[in-house]
Amino acid sequence: MKYYRVLMAVFVLSVMFWPLANAEELSAYQIAKKSEDLMNQARDTQAEMSMILVNKKGDTRQRKLMSYGKNYDNGAQKALIVFESPADVKGTSFLSWSSPDKDEDEQWLYLPALQRVRQISTGGKGESFMGTEFTFYDMGNRNLEDENFTLLKEEEIEGETCYVIEAVPKEMKYYSKVITWIRKDSSMPLKMDFYDKKGKYLKQGMFGSIQTIKGIKTPTHIEMHNVQNGRKTIIELSNIQYDTGLNDDIFTQRYMKRGR
Amino acid sequence: MKIRHALTIPALLASLAIAPTAVAAGEGFDKLKEAVSINGYLESNGIYALEDSSPDEDPSYMFELRLKSELGSWGMFTAIVQGIDDGKVIDADNGRLINEFDAIYQDKNPFLNIDEAYLDIYTDNADFRIGIQKFAWGRLDEINPTDNLNTEDLTQASLNEESERKIGVPALKANVYTDLINIELGWVPRYVPYRLATSEERWFPPVLRAPDTIPTGTMIGDIPVTGIYEEIDLPAFTLDNSELGIRASRYIAGWDLSVSYFRGYDTMPVYTVPTELIINLENILSFDTAVDALAHVTPKLHQMQVFGCDFSTTYGPFTIRGEYAYFDGKYYTRKTEDVLADEITLAKQQDIMEEFLRELIRSGFTKTRQTFLLEPDFELQMDSMKYGIGLDYIHGDTTLSGQLIQEYIPDYDSHKPIRFNDGGYDTIITLALKQYFLQNTMEANLDMIYNFNFKYYLVRPWLAYNFSDSIKATLGLIWLGGEDEYSLIGQYEDNDQVYAKLRYSF
Repeated sequence: MKYYRVLMAVFVLSVMFWPLANAEELSAYQIAKKSEDLMNQARDTQAEMSMILVNKKGDTRQRKLMSYGKNYDNGAQKALIVFESPADVKGTSFLSWSSPDKDEDEQWLYLPALQRVRQISTGGKGESFMGTEFTFYDMGNRNLEDENFTLLKEEEIEGETCYVIEAVPKEMKYYSKVITWIRKDSSMPLKMDFYDKKGKYLKQGMFGSIQTIKGIKTPTHIEMHNVQNGRKTIIELSNIQYDTGLNDDIFTQRYMKRGR
Repeated sequence: MKIRHALTIPALLASLAIAPTAVAAGEGFDKLKEAVSINGYLESNGIYALEDSSPDEDPSYMFELRLKSELGSWGMFTAIVQGIDDGKVIDADNGRLINEFDAIYQDKNPFLNIDEAYLDIYTDNADFRIGIQKFAWGRLDEINPTDNLNTEDLTQASLNEESERKIGVPALKANVYTDLINIELGWVPRYVPYRLATSEERWFPPVLRAPDTIPTGTMIGDIPVTGIYEEIDLPAFTLDNSELGIRASRYIAGWDLSVSYFRGYDTMPVYTVPTELIINLENILSFDTAVDALAHVTPKLHQMQVFGCDFSTTYGPFTIRGEYAYFDGKYYTRKTEDVLADEITLAKQQDIMEEFLRELIRSGFTKTRQTFLLEPDFELQMDSMKYGIGLDYIHGDTTLSGQLIQEYIPDYDSHKPIRFNDGGYDTIITLALKQYFLQNTMEANLDMIYNFNFKYYLVRPWLAYNFSDSIKATLGLIWLGGEDEYSLIGQYEDNDQVYAKLRYSF
């Protein structure tokens, strides 16, 4: 139900590290801060998303959905996810409003079988959702003030030279640290390693198939591989559109019920 | 314990065999699918009865087709049609193919059901829906006292999901959206009655069953009773008899709030039991008489008003939901045995016998068989209120939901007890626990209901497994009971069962 955050995370990650190639003189924190400022440059977004869940035997299950997002001048964000498949969840939709002056997002879930919109709580952000290898936290907006950043080194990986940045939370809630590899030439993330609260290696995110859409570089293929349980989640984005002037009415309970 | 349905497993396998055919057929509709969105499922359902004393039930099969067709930017047509082979039905003799909107006892099998079929029309500030449709008001789970525009199919008591129970009704709906408030208006031109299982079926409510005998306390002894279950007498098709509901909603600072009003007919059964006493003079010399009774179990309809409100909000990891309804002019059914005991008094029996003798003599001893109609007052009109609060907690793959729901009748008359209420109160607690496993491939559920007044309970653990995105199997247990066998759930205490479902979705 929080797949919209995956898309948001992709957008965030795609622009978060964009300026790094030209900012070698900046500290890791400054790099991250500048990335934060750039991450919401698209006023609105919409895309089709395919999400494939792979278990450790290699069996797969697929979800298809439509995602809509919009940023507001006051820093607020609204997002809507509508499930297209599988058939038994078609029409299910998820609406989220976030605001910088509120600790928690406001969220609603619409189940077509019940024809009711239900307000839901944010829940435990450290938990997996919908069986994916993403957590609620992964797909939300990171508050950089809560983390300490260190530029560890430069490293060549898969034939590309990358910056390696370590982020350690000031107050550990979900991860003990996250290490990110940033492509030096394109400033796009290539890999992220997540460590659990005990400091053990937990999972790895890979970002590929980068497309430039309306000047915004966007990875359209993301894999999150949990090395502890052997499971993987693959996200494919298509028909990505930025700044089409999405109407505010889309982000309402009315639209959730209509589904169009 | 016994196995009643050896066909259950073959039935489940049969649906799998049919599934590829459905897929092939679906492929042939590719062009149609460009214009019309087609989804649906094929489901088989079998039970394993745990008690000997409840009626049999064969496996059921259901095919549901969901069609959606966009009509430009201004509208959409939706139809949900079901084909059902209902294993609960015994000796179907209706002879009709499609579910009717004017009968409580449908008694047909197999049959088609138009679950919903409506046209949506969209404008800038309002949406309209015309056709067979379902409304969904209120914030509680499964029990919504403010939700009265649709009646329910109670042929499986109220144990299946609300979306399955609710009967789509021909209606007009308008949703008007403003910056201040959203308003929903529902108009049902003609009341559509609830549906009940027939008296021989597994889920016929025992509380509606006529008593086997009427005790007289005299030398006549117990009078044997034959129950006759009458069909409903629908109100005339007039504007005054139509049903109307209006609901205003707004989201304010984290709170979803609504107020609502309904004027229409009660969605739940209310019954009278006019009874014919048949006295037959068997031997004119010895004056031996035989007395029999025909109890006509007759549904009654009454209009009422419902004033309601509801809310939902979040607090930390919790979602809090509440709903309140005030029923103005609601009718209740008195207990049959109490009413008949009050009616068949010694004085009344003497009056009847005197009348019998007078008529016998007046007829020259030819009217040896006479019928006397007893029409005691089975119904009581009392205002009441029903309210509840629910709490949901979601943590990762775990969802826990609890509700406390109470009905209160301020003017309850303890000398005239009614069904399903104890001294003016009826209080239940519900609990639903869901846990996902294996990347949401499997879910374990536990649903429970407990009633504090009648001490009845429902415990339903069930397990669902998705073999693929299209094939889902469910295995569950329904365990019912209670101290009062005539309580809402306790009446079904002989209906414990294990059930299995297999669904192919496309």
